[in-house]
Amino acid sequence: MGANRPDFAEFYRRSKDECLFTVLVSVGDRDTAQDLVAEAFARAWARWRTVSRHPAPAAWVVRTALNAHVSRWRRRRREVPLADPGAIADRPTAGETFDSPVDPRIMVALTRLPERQRQVVALRLFLDLDTARTAAALGIAPGTVQAHLGRAIAALRADLMPEQKEIPS
Amino acid sequence: MTDDDLITLVREQRSNVHMDTPVEQIVGRGRALRARRRLPGVAAGALAVAAAATLAVTALQPTGHHAGPQPPIHLTAWTVTRQADGTITVTVRQLRDPQGLQSTLRADGVPASVTFFGHEPRACQRYPKMSAILMAEVFGGHGPPLVIHSKALPHDAGIQLSPLHHAHGAPIALAAGLVRATPGCTGT
Repeated sequence: MGANRPDFAEFYRRSKDECLFTVLVSVGDRDTAQDLVAEAFARAWARWRTVSRHPAPAAWVVRTALNAHVSRWRRRRREVPLADPGAIADRPTAGETFDSPVDPRIMVALTRLPERQRQVVALRLFLDLDTARTAAALGIAPGTVQAHLGRAIAALRADLMPEQKEIPS
Repeated sequence: MTDDDLITLVREQRSNVHMDTPVEQIVGRGRALRARRRLPGVAAGALAVAAAATLAVTALQPTGHHAGPQPPIHLTAWTVTRQADGTITVTVRQLRDPQGLQSTLRADGVPASVTFFGHEPRACQRYPKMSAILMAEVFGGHGPPLVIHSKALPHDAGIQLSPLHHAHGAPIALAAGLVRATPGCTGT
């Protein structure tokens, strides 16, 4: 199995679901997410000597999958920047539900997070990286990771439990 | 609910998601990728042939949209304006009210599907005769705003607007593409 790369097979078994979940939260569609993650794992296999030495191979897979998603769109779409880069999205209407097994309220709340906060949430909470590895993967200070995570949790709380915005843990 | 409870609630969603692609399939694809990397000339040549084939079947069949000035529709989230030359400008500031934007474009004679959340409608299919030339004809420059040259839209094509997500990130752009014009996708 794995062309004499049993460590890849173990890596795949251990991290495939977390990677799929992380990508699914970003792209919203399960079939698309599964295609992207499968392709990213295949690329990881093809470069396993390099990827296996990455500080967080699962983060490499997720980033590769999401970059491929952006590339795929750009090949067949005309991209127009939003007039307001800080634009936020409304909640989905009845006809715009996510095609995923994830609670749509949580999907929407995650989608509304600013980019850096979502990066931190993805690495810290979905891929279970510790603060130091998250900081290394993103090229930011560990304290910044903690700050972004704190803000992200506050934003998720405000979205998911608007009546409980300030509950000390 | 504490922060830990909230984190647990979000993390629990992971248990609902399972990747069912066998590792053998991943490895098979990995082998193909590795072989292709060793033959860059073959891959590049194949892409060139595909691009040429796409261009060869391109056809422009302008439709007869109604021209004439129309007062702009000003909303907080987006603005649609029809110019005297028939072009339509779309400025999106916030990803709100996609149904309203879709209805406005359709009322302006543009078969359109607008999605700001989740997956694109199943009924939508990529326009088979799409090419870089046709995209430039229909969408013009690189906005904002998005400019739609509706007269350059083939009779059997419609436009699709969706948010483009950055890696890990929130929507950073609006992506405009061409799809087959069908009642289930673009309304006509």
